[in-house]
Amino acid sequence: MSADDAKDTNEEPTHPYETEDSFHPLGAEWEENMRSELEDTEFDADLGMEMARDAQRLVAGELSEEEFYAEYHEDMEDEFDVDERPVFDDIDDVDLDKAEDESMFEALTDVDIENEDVSRREMMKKMGAGAAFLGYGAYATYDSQKEQEEVPQQVSGIRPAEEDGREHRWGMVIDLERCDGCLSCVTGCINENGTSTGANWMYVFTYDNHDTEQQNFLVRPCQHCSNAPCAKVCPVRARHVRSKDGLVLTDYEICIGCRYCQVACPYGVNYFQWGEPDVPMEELEHLDMRPEDVRSLDEDERHTKLSEANDHVYDDRGRWTDSRPPKGVMGKCTMCPSRQDEHTDNEKGTVACMDACDEAGMSAIHFGDLDDEESRPNTYLERRKEIEESPKEKNKKFEDPEEYEQPPAPHPKSQLSTFRLLEDLNTQPNITYIGNEPGPHASETPEERPVHYEALSNDWGVNVVAERKEHLDYGARANDDNTPGEEEGEA
Amino acid sequence: MATKDAEAKEPEPADIIRPILNTSMKWYAAIGILSAVALAWLAAFGFQLQEGLIVTNLADWGSGGGVTWGLYIGAFIWWVGIAHGGIILSAAVRLFGMTKYQPVARMAELLTLTALSMSGLYIVVHMGRPDRLVTSVVNAYPWTVQSSPLAWDVTVITLYFVMTATYIALTLRYDTYQLRDRLPDILDPLYRVVLIGYSEKEDEVIERMAWWLALGIIVMAPLLLHGGVIPWLFSLIPSMPGWDGAIQGPQFLSIALTSALAGLIVISYTTRIAYDWEHIFTDSVIRGLTNWLGIFSLMFVWLQLQQIINGLFAAHVRPEVVMTAKLSNTIYQMAMVTMFLALAYIFAQAVKPSVFSRHLSLVAALGVLVATLSEKILFVFEGLAYPEFGLYDQVPGHYSPSLVELSSVAGTVALCTLMYMVIMKLFPIIELHSVEDHDDDHDNEEVSA
Repeated sequence: MSADDAKDTNEEPTHPYETEDSFHPLGAEWEENMRSELEDTEFDADLGMEMARDAQRLVAGELSEEEFYAEYHEDMEDEFDVDERPVFDDIDDVDLDKAEDESMFEALTDVDIENEDVSRREMMKKMGAGAAFLGYGAYATYDSQKEQEEVPQQVSGIRPAEEDGREHRWGMVIDLERCDGCLSCVTGCINENGTSTGANWMYVFTYDNHDTEQQNFLVRPCQHCSNAPCAKVCPVRARHVRSKDGLVLTDYEICIGCRYCQVACPYGVNYFQWGEPDVPMEELEHLDMRPEDVRSLDEDERHTKLSEANDHVYDDRGRWTDSRPPKGVMGKCTMCPSRQDEHTDNEKGTVACMDACDEAGMSAIHFGDLDDEESRPNTYLERRKEIEESPKEKNKKFEDPEEYEQPPAPHPKSQLSTFRLLEDLNTQPNITYIGNEPGPHASETPEERPVHYEALSNDWGVNVVAERKEHLDYGARANDDNTPGEEEGEA
Repeated sequence: MATKDAEAKEPEPADIIRPILNTSMKWYAAIGILSAVALAWLAAFGFQLQEGLIVTNLADWGSGGGVTWGLYIGAFIWWVGIAHGGIILSAAVRLFGMTKYQPVARMAELLTLTALSMSGLYIVVHMGRPDRLVTSVVNAYPWTVQSSPLAWDVTVITLYFVMTATYIALTLRYDTYQLRDRLPDILDPLYRVVLIGYSEKEDEVIERMAWWLALGIIVMAPLLLHGGVIPWLFSLIPSMPGWDGAIQGPQFLSIALTSALAGLIVISYTTRIAYDWEHIFTDSVIRGLTNWLGIFSLMFVWLQLQQIINGLFAAHVRPEVVMTAKLSNTIYQMAMVTMFLALAYIFAQAVKPSVFSRHLSLVAALGVLVATLSEKILFVFEGLAYPEFGLYDQVPGHYSPSLVELSSVAGTVALCTLMYMVIMKLFPIIELHSVEDHDDDHDNEEVSA
């Protein structure tokens, strides 16, 4: 359970113990660890957890120390035979004013050390258990949470959660050997997101590798990096990585349009909204509510409303991250968060470009949860490796699907060529390609495209072009007669 | 020579308050023209706010075939460079007791204040949604400051603005107190604010505080200023081979000092004519500034050479592409020829004093300013035009700033000058100390020159 999943009911972060899921500032996962540690001891785990919860309230100032001691005095006696804490007989020995200033742990230590009847060793043992009970330690207070990597709910993180803390890790396997450059995926993406002319969130290169005649394609969506440079450099955390599933998204309401994400991205997948979007907001299917109102809804209610509206603009956190961006902010391929959050008619675990590719009969794009061994991309890649290992089957390739059951030939290892783009830049991309990697001297051959971008039509009637610059310059001139786009190139 | 007589004249406190007491028609005319230029640009900026950044010739790099950062960011670096160079020079004068240049020190500080304002303005102008600047930045600041070089940048610019303003405010107190009787009554409320809590006993303390501030500025310059945070905006981005690399720190710092010195030469030349300051900004002072300009220009050219050689000889594929493109760019060639011409003059006059002329120094300074601005804009543009991911090379990429963008250069130069000219009417822009101590220092000055 990550911070993103917790309820986002207020602009202010909810105090963690108020949530049903977890009282601990570090979340349910931490709490579970604490519990299991307690269960390994001889002491009562339920009592411990209850005390820890109240300890958090104590730290937050909602319980007085006296109330806290009084409540657990009997329980403590039962559990430890004797309660060494300051509520009992020697309460007078404790300087309560002083105790208020110190952490409770210190206050307890003072008292116990003065009590010479208890052996130091025995006391320390009990104190150790007590410390674990109270959840004291480096993370005891709500404030100290801010010093950790954890960030409050209104500020997003820049990394997906660790594998056991996240629900999915969305990504793709793209089989370039199956791509024929039909650009169906490009159209599918535009239909889904209503992007403006030239903002090809999905882009397909037709290129020649140096010294070969072979025509190659490279399908280029956003790589949804696990170590995304764009999210790292964003000065306002508009560009972020959703911790529950690793999607790299832009919060259109926070983005200031500085374009540093675009500068830092090695793949050139970002498209800024330089002027008014070609597709107006009214035409996008979305829940007609102010974003802050959407966020203030309770999680279930929000999901219901978003589903009723077949919303394609908000994600399940109520953040405006899907479909084309408004004027002045950055957009790019999103991997369809509204589908992954299950409030559209489209199935979870699908993306628009994959659907279009399947429909075109190519099935080169395989989207799914890379953490799940049974997911479509993983099984596809596995199967492709097997086929590659069997020369006989490789010859037949995909002609007869039933032949797939043939046992693989005894090759020592797969010969399947796979790669990730610019992996040495340490971005940890979540797209794996099957096929040949473009060499350093590869060059795009726009004239050899089997289908031209300009020939594509889409549901919105938006023009499609490969190179946006010309269009933007034209737009600039159309808007302003005083701004001649001087065409002589410097490059 | 006529200037010999002028140099023999002793500078007096009356000299430094002359701009405040006398205002010529030329000043009003200049203000009028500059305001017109600034207003024209503000109108263009308003147009940009209304239409969006589509009125620039910027575009998406990648399949879009343009560059997403261009003149705005280049000019931003240039202004920050002038600002940072200015405060470094002023701090050096104070720290190392370079009394000869003391009259220039406060001018350099004021240049920092005005140039830094222009760079801040460029941040706003560059943005798609400037209206969110404060709310968005403040909200996530504790986290972004850990990861985003742009957040570091905003921090450092703010820090330096505060430090410079403090520095000026502290040192102004003595001057204002001493000269108050001779300053116009109409500005009395302003002076009263400056002098809040002043007592003569504080002078020594203030002096010491200013010294420590100067030390802080000098130490932080390479670490945080134009030798650190500003180049890190680019050098930490491995996707762009034209930017990548540790040389950007020294390169940026050398450009900052070069541009600031050039700016100071322009200001001292102009004010010398306007306020008969021949005996303050003597030929000797201007010659000294010119020599310093030569040293920093040489560093600038030297670091350019380092980058080019490393990018051409047995280089990786992409760095070679960038450097080839850079070298073959006519604007870059022009900038470098300008630098060489300026250097030729500076070293010729250093070897043979009769070659020196303050007019030629002014021309050299203006040339250097144009060259550093061009280099900075090209640096931004070419970095983005030749990324590590070379498959986009066939996308026809070109960028030449639109009129809206070009007007911003004229507009900010005008605004900066306006600010400067107004400040000149409020406070002495030459420190009182530098004219008071003249008697004691005069002999040393001749020696050190």
